This record gives sequence, C-alpha cells and structure tokens, in this order.
Amino acid sequence: MLSVEMCWGQAGIFTFGQAALFGLGGYTVGLITKNSSITDIGVLLLIAIVIGAVAGLIIGIFLFSGKRVGELYVVLVTLAISYIFERLANSWTVLGSGNGIPGIPSPTIFGMEIKSIIGLFILAFTVFALILFICIFLVNSQFGLTMNAVRDDEERAEFFGYKRSRIQIVVFVFAAVLASIGGALFAVTESFVSSSMTGLALSTTIVLWVVLGGRGTFFGPLIALAVLQAVNTKMQEVLPSLWPILVGLLLVIAMIFLPKGLMSLPATIRESLRKKSTA
Amino acid sequence: MKLLEVISVTKKFGALTAVDKASIFINQNEIVGLIGPNGSGKSTLLHTVCGRTIATEGQILLQGLDITKQDPQDRAIAGMAIKFQLARIYLEKTVRENLLISLQAKESIWSQLRNRSLAKFEDKITSLADEFQLTEYLDEFAKSLSHGQQQWLEIAMAMASEPILLLLDEPTAGMSPKERADTAILIKKASKKCGVLIVEHDLDFIKEICDRISVLHQGNIIATGTSAEIEKDPKVKEVYLTRV
Repeated sequence: MLSVEMCWGQAGIFTFGQAALFGLGGYTVGLITKNSSITDIGVLLLIAIVIGAVAGLIIGIFLFSGKRVGELYVVLVTLAISYIFERLANSWTVLGSGNGIPGIPSPTIFGMEIKSIIGLFILAFTVFALILFICIFLVNSQFGLTMNAVRDDEERAEFFGYKRSRIQIVVFVFAAVLASIGGALFAVTESFVSSSMTGLALSTTIVLWVVLGGRGTFFGPLIALAVLQAVNTKMQEVLPSLWPILVGLLLVIAMIFLPKGLMSLPATIRESLRKKSTA
Repeated sequence: MKLLEVISVTKKFGALTAVDKASIFINQNEIVGLIGPNGSGKSTLLHTVCGRTIATEGQILLQGLDITKQDPQDRAIAGMAIKFQLARIYLEKTVRENLLISLQAKESIWSQLRNRSLAKFEDKITSLADEFQLTEYLDEFAKSLSHGQQQWLEIAMAMASEPILLLLDEPTAGMSPKERADTAILIKKASKKCGVLIVEHDLDFIKEICDRISVLHQGNIIATGTSAEIEKDPKVKEVYLTRV
C-alpha cells in the first residue's frame, strides 16, 4: 500500500504492478529458505531489497527512460507485468506451480527464532513503522515537493529543469523495494507463498485502498486497508461470488464521487455546507 | 555573441509548414516581441525555441550553444525559462511551494533529500515574492490567487532560476489595465537580468515595452525592427495592422 501511495499518490505513477514486486520479494525469500539455511531476517530483507531494487530499476528504465509516456501506457505495462508474474508463479515448477512454496521456516534474529504470533507481529510492525517513517520523511523533504511537481504537471516540471525520467525511476525503484520488503515479510510471517499473493487481484485491491483512503495521504489508505480487510474476511464467507463485484463497484463509485478519497470527506462536506449557506 | 539566434528554422507538421525559414535574434537585456495574426506560427516558433517541439530544419543557438535538438530540461539547465499562455503553476500548492519547486529544480536528488538548500532559498523566495507583489500570499494556495497574480507567479517562478533568456507567451492575456501596466514594469525589470522574447496579441503592450519586434505571417518573418519601423512597413500594414 505504501508502495502504491509513493508511486501514484506522490509521484503520479499509476501502477498496477506492485503485486508482482510483492510476489517477487515473497518468492525470493521462499526460494532462499528452501534451498539454503539462511533464516536471518536481516539477511532475507537485504536480499529482498536488492532484488526489488534491480527489478524496479529494469521496469523503471523501460517505462520512463525515453520521452514522456501517458498514464495509460504505465497502467497497461504494469498490469501485464502482474499478469505475467501470476502466470509464471502458477505454472513454473521452480516456484511450486499452483501450490506455491509452503513450509517457509520462522525467521531468526541474532540466532533467535521468532516463532510466536506476537513476535512475528512485532517484527512486521517494526519494519512497517520504519518504512512509514522513511516515507513520511521523503514526502516532507524537498524531494517530496519534486515528486508532487512531476505528479501534477510532468511537462511543466521538465521546463523548470527537472530530470523527469530520473525522478520517476528513483521513485519506482524505491516503491519496488517497499513492495519486495512487504512480500518478504509476508512470506516469513505466513510461512508460505503462493500465486494468490501476486497478480491482478492484489494489484487492484492495493489501488482500491489508495483510491478509497485518499491518494496523496498515508493514513487514509491505511484506514481503508484496515476497514476493507476486516469486511473482506466476513464478506468472502457470506457473499463469496458477489463480493468481488461489489468491490469493483465500490472502486468505480469512489473514483466518481470521492476522487480524493475518504480523507477529503470532511473538507468536501464543509465546502458543500459553505456553498449551501451562501446560496 | 548574440544571446539567442534562431537561424532559418522550419517546422513542418506533415504537409503543413507552420514556420518557414524563420530567423530572429535576441541580444542580452533586450526585449523582443513576436507578433502576427492567429495561425501565423508565433506559438510554434516559440515552442521550437523552448523545446516543446523540435525544429524540422534550421538551428537554434543559445549563447553560441546549439540547442536545436535538446530536451526542455536541458534548455532550462542552459538558462532558458518560460511562462506559458495559460499559467501553468501548481494550483494545489502554496505560493511559497510553487517558488520552491522552481528554485530547487536543478538541485540533485541527494541534496533535496537532505533539505540542504531550504534555508538558502528562503531569502530568494522572500525577494521574489516582494518583487512580484505576492508577499502577503506566500502561504496561500496558488488556486486562490487572481488571474493576474497567477500570471505573475508563473513569471516569478521562471525568474527564480535566474535565466539568461525568458520566454513569455501572452503574459497579459486576461489582465486588467492596472495588472497589464504592472506586468510591463515587471518585464522591464526582468530584462535587466536577461533577454526576453514575448509572443503577444496586445500590440500596444508590445510597442510599449519591446526594443525590437518581429512580425510573422504564414510562418514567415516578414519584418523586423523597432515599433516605429514596423508601423511604417507596408507588408505589415497589409497583413496585420489593418486587421487589429
């Protein structure tokens, strides 16, 4: 979610490919722990960072190194990447085909195994908090303003002298690293990886969190994530076939009636009340 | 050495020749106006100068440096700044942030991440805001400014980078007479620091502030000279002045 928010919310790169990068981090950890004795979370996260950065750099250079490309082009290419990775995860035996990679061992830190649910939660929460802190720092730095300048008017930014493609590649690599770290954490906390953690469904869900919560903020999407995930579990039991359609409808309605997300709701209400009172 | 030399520039869009072997030049601290009827190729010529579009033929030199095929960002780094016809400022950002966006454009990402130039730019922001009558709006969103103030903000953003050449596309469009007069003063002040090329429909404004004027008609430069010379030119009278 932070990965999509950095890309789309802050720099205007509308990506549907973060699930593939999330999956890449997860499968990397799955394969390493399956084929070696490495379980140290520091080492695993470091490898996930490197793999995510390399993948992000390759995709980023492909997408942004030439002339300016339209949002639709980025959406289609990243959608295709998610689709390809999902198919690969489903069919390639090295990645466990449709069964994924089960039995990923518990992570260790300084030789101590983190096995309990609370321990794993603290690990995931600590990494998340650290990443959130870095994201907030970035957004509030001068570079945050640069990302917004490119997001709001790419061409204008170029006329000021901004190296647009370099900025977009840097943001995309950073976001890819975040997604890969997320995937790696998922793998060690859930003890398995499968194709369901990659692909179009997850990519769309992440975008939905950001749309609903409010693009350009961190806490709106976090609230949307918490609410939707809580509802999601229940609804998949009650309305298993109808729920995905309702989620799609929700996305469309949110984009039409609340394009700036839930975080903009108080301001929208205030504005409409002000208009009513002055009318 | 001339500040800007546009040498026999042609711009074709398929079979249409929008600009045909046009040549203009600008000296340091000179204000040059580009006028012509609608569709004469003024904006296209300006766009080939700023890099929005690449000339099909000809050469563009900025202080002797060939920038004909350069991207807009490279031209900006070489010292060119532009104010577009419709003010392209960041409406959802404050005036201060808009000025900072322009000021930090050439800073490295590493420097931006460390907020190294923030203090350095604060004085610059204050003096720019003062010069362009925006001091009391520094912390207001740009969208809350009047039309004229938005135009000034964009000129201030262009001047923030201390350009050697300032390109202005219809800087007084939609302005009140008072704002127009103030804009003339601002542009004259700016020309003490750089050369200025203005594309403008307002002939009185152009005559008032330009040192030289070039007239475009159907993609060709048909006359160049002072406003007095232009007014006397029979070709200009025929194709342009009689229609205004």
